Amino acid sequence: MQRRRAFLFHLVCVVLLVGLGVGSVLGAQKPLVLKMFSYDINPNYTGFEDPIGREITKRTGIKLDIEYPVGDPEERITLMIASGEYPDLIFHKGAGKFVDAGAFIDLTPYIEKYGDNIKKLYGPYLKRMRYSLEDPSIYYLGCFGVDSEIWDVSGFQLQHAVVKELGYPPMRTLKDFENAIKAYMEKYPTIDGRPTIGLSLLADDWRFLITVTNPAVAATGGPDDGQWYIDPETYEAIYHIRRPEEKEYFRWLNHMNDIGLLDPESFVQKYDQYKAKIAQGRVLALTDQRWQFEEAERALRQAGKFERTYGSYPIVLDERFKRADLWDPGYSASWGIGISVTSKHKEAAFKFLDWMASDEAQVLVNWGIEGVNYQVVNGKRVIPPEEFARRTNDPNYIRETGVGLYVYPFPQRGDGQLDPTGNPYTPTTKDYIKQRYSAIEKEVLAAYGAEMWIDLFPQKSEFPLKPWGAAWQIPTPMIEDLTIPLQRCDDLCKKRIPEIVLAKPADFDRLWDSFQQELIDLGIRKAEAIFTQLVKDRIKLWND
Amino acid sequence: MRPAKGSTQPLIYSMPDPAAPTWGRKIMRQIYQQRYLFLMVLPFVVWVIIFKYIPIWGWTMAFQDYKPHLSFAEQTWVGWKYFVELFHDRQFYLVLRNTIAMSLLSLLCGYTFPIMFAILLNEIGRRYFRQIIQTISYLPHFVSWVVVAGIFTKLLAIGGPVNQLLLALGLTDKPILFMAKGEYFWGIVTIADLWKELGWNSIIFLAAIMGIDGNLYEAAQMDGAGRFRQIWHITLPGIRPVVFIMLIMSIGNLINIGFEKQFLLQNNMVKDYSEVLDLYALTYGIRVARYAYGTAVGIFKSAVSIVLLFLANFIIRRFNDDRAVL
Repeated sequence: MQRRRAFLFHLVCVVLLVGLGVGSVLGAQKPLVLKMFSYDINPNYTGFEDPIGREITKRTGIKLDIEYPVGDPEERITLMIASGEYPDLIFHKGAGKFVDAGAFIDLTPYIEKYGDNIKKLYGPYLKRMRYSLEDPSIYYLGCFGVDSEIWDVSGFQLQHAVVKELGYPPMRTLKDFENAIKAYMEKYPTIDGRPTIGLSLLADDWRFLITVTNPAVAATGGPDDGQWYIDPETYEAIYHIRRPEEKEYFRWLNHMNDIGLLDPESFVQKYDQYKAKIAQGRVLALTDQRWQFEEAERALRQAGKFERTYGSYPIVLDERFKRADLWDPGYSASWGIGISVTSKHKEAAFKFLDWMASDEAQVLVNWGIEGVNYQVVNGKRVIPPEEFARRTNDPNYIRETGVGLYVYPFPQRGDGQLDPTGNPYTPTTKDYIKQRYSAIEKEVLAAYGAEMWIDLFPQKSEFPLKPWGAAWQIPTPMIEDLTIPLQRCDDLCKKRIPEIVLAKPADFDRLWDSFQQELIDLGIRKAEAIFTQLVKDRIKLWND
Repeated sequence: MRPAKGSTQPLIYSMPDPAAPTWGRKIMRQIYQQRYLFLMVLPFVVWVIIFKYIPIWGWTMAFQDYKPHLSFAEQTWVGWKYFVELFHDRQFYLVLRNTIAMSLLSLLCGYTFPIMFAILLNEIGRRYFRQIIQTISYLPHFVSWVVVAGIFTKLLAIGGPVNQLLLALGLTDKPILFMAKGEYFWGIVTIADLWKELGWNSIIFLAAIMGIDGNLYEAAQMDGAGRFRQIWHITLPGIRPVVFIMLIMSIGNLINIGFEKQFLLQNNMVKDYSEVLDLYALTYGIRVARYAYGTAVGIFKSAVSIVLLFLANFIIRRFNDDRAVL
């Protein structure tokens, strides 16, 4: 017994020593870990341990330790600022709070010194990344694809089964939309044994904006400017829910509720409940954005229920309006990654970002590893059919391969841009999108005389230049007369709009008017004046 | 504060006596005599100072236009500006109403039900059965609010079990959207809270009941008291001190009800009934980076808590001279 114990003791010692030895040898090549905060949650993040993450570490010696916010990212940010402890890299959506607190370093000297790839990638748009007229420093690198072609559009969504069943009726106005939902619902009160839902909305937290208030602008011909509508001639900003046209959109929602086509749980359900309903294939119509219901749609594809996935239609309030989904805002660089003042590895962090902007990195993050995720045939990058099928239909593809995981929010080339070898930087091309369409999708498109969904929408060329970019990307400085009324009005919308939509149609006008008055009482007019000035300042900043 | 009961101070000390030690000396001697007790208490005093008193320094923030990256000397002082703004905000009064309403409801239910439960549990004769019931009843305490909120949302959904039951019983002909009705929100929160904390809150009362001298019950039985008489005349008076102390402690916390349950159970439709003070401070203080405003809300809460605490203590002292703790 005694001897055995001694033996075990020695064994443990040996194991420990060997462990230490191995540890120190490995330690010599241990990658530099940079801490990063990301505003957006990425459920596919694996701690940089997926194949692409490991490849990036191999090539740069850097590993990212990314922190995602739990709950409201704005709250996480204010706490971070209060503590004064920042990670090395910060991906934000509006630098106002950070810049106000002096949290970012000016990247201009770094771009001059080490930023060749960044200069190449952003080109003329580097100018647009300057913070403001008073402070023309560059605090962050924009997170969206540069000069991206828009080939994908969300519009309003209807299940393919609905239009097919009804013989492809014209889909232009809310009336067409409503009639289609109604006709199908009367024919099929249940789908797979569960009650059919006409139109479902999602009001969970900020998602309220995406499916409830933004569609009101879209259906009345406005471009996506967040909470604002900017007059294209005078550049006057107005809190968009105050436009008289939008009242009629909400009147329609109220009517939809009245006749039982609106999901009664619209304003109560949480995001997972919403996705679950869609994945069951029983929600006929949505006014959502594809990135939000994509996951549920993937589940439908995987289950082979292709007829329950959605087509995108340019639905407007009435014939006066023109959907502006394809109105190109140009490159609006106000969300992006900055380097914090407290970082101990500023230079390394910058060089890493510059590497991410290089052609080599762009191909790696977009296409994956050569020979594994794609092949080069006759100088062309091709995705083998088997890989392609997984990429389209497998919900776990990104998580398992890491392909596409590190594109956004890092510097990225836009769709349709070609690298020096003549290949596109991103695999997203017109052909790629068409290839991803299911058989029934192609059938529906053919019936409407189109090849792609964007063909149904008013084209980019029909719209004038949008000199202010996208208003939701205008950084808002911490001005109390702007931020406080805005927060209050946003909160008020979340309360009042559900009440108004679910009210009896007879009460609609009265409720709407008192809601409008409340907005004015909360000081929205002053906020609008301040924001108008910000829009004008931005136009000046971009054009000097 | 007041001399402990039974301490007999010799009258002579209160008379001027040149030989008597001075006050300072007396205290020093007392400290020396009780030095071990003082040593034992020291870490906790230090803890309280570090974690409860030093942070009060942060209250200065409420009187500044606070910017976290500036040093204390560089801040701009704004006086009572944020308090004035706070008391002029209609939303604030709404939020205060919700906080107090939900707090009172949970105080009411969080008292009567656990006490009743503890008494009933005590009346169960079989020990094992009693223990099993007790364990089952306090298990939900360890379930996170996220899960509890999920359970209640599912239970009360349109196709959920509650609605199915109501439909089956014919009590309603259309499913009720419980979570969308503001009037129901306080009730739902209270019931969820009750389900989660009933067993846990009853533990302390159960322990108090266990501490009652068994002879009293025997004597009562001899005198012919039935079960209800025993409960009324022995059990309830026996646990009265505990009930009072618990009451004082929770009245002091009346306004600090936290926000987890409200935050997790709420949705946009019931915001007028679900928003509580802490949530308000979070949205209009922290979310929009107005640290000063958030601090002002915090100070208001502390002030209210202190007033409530003294009030509770005063009332109880009026009722029963022995039980006041301050």
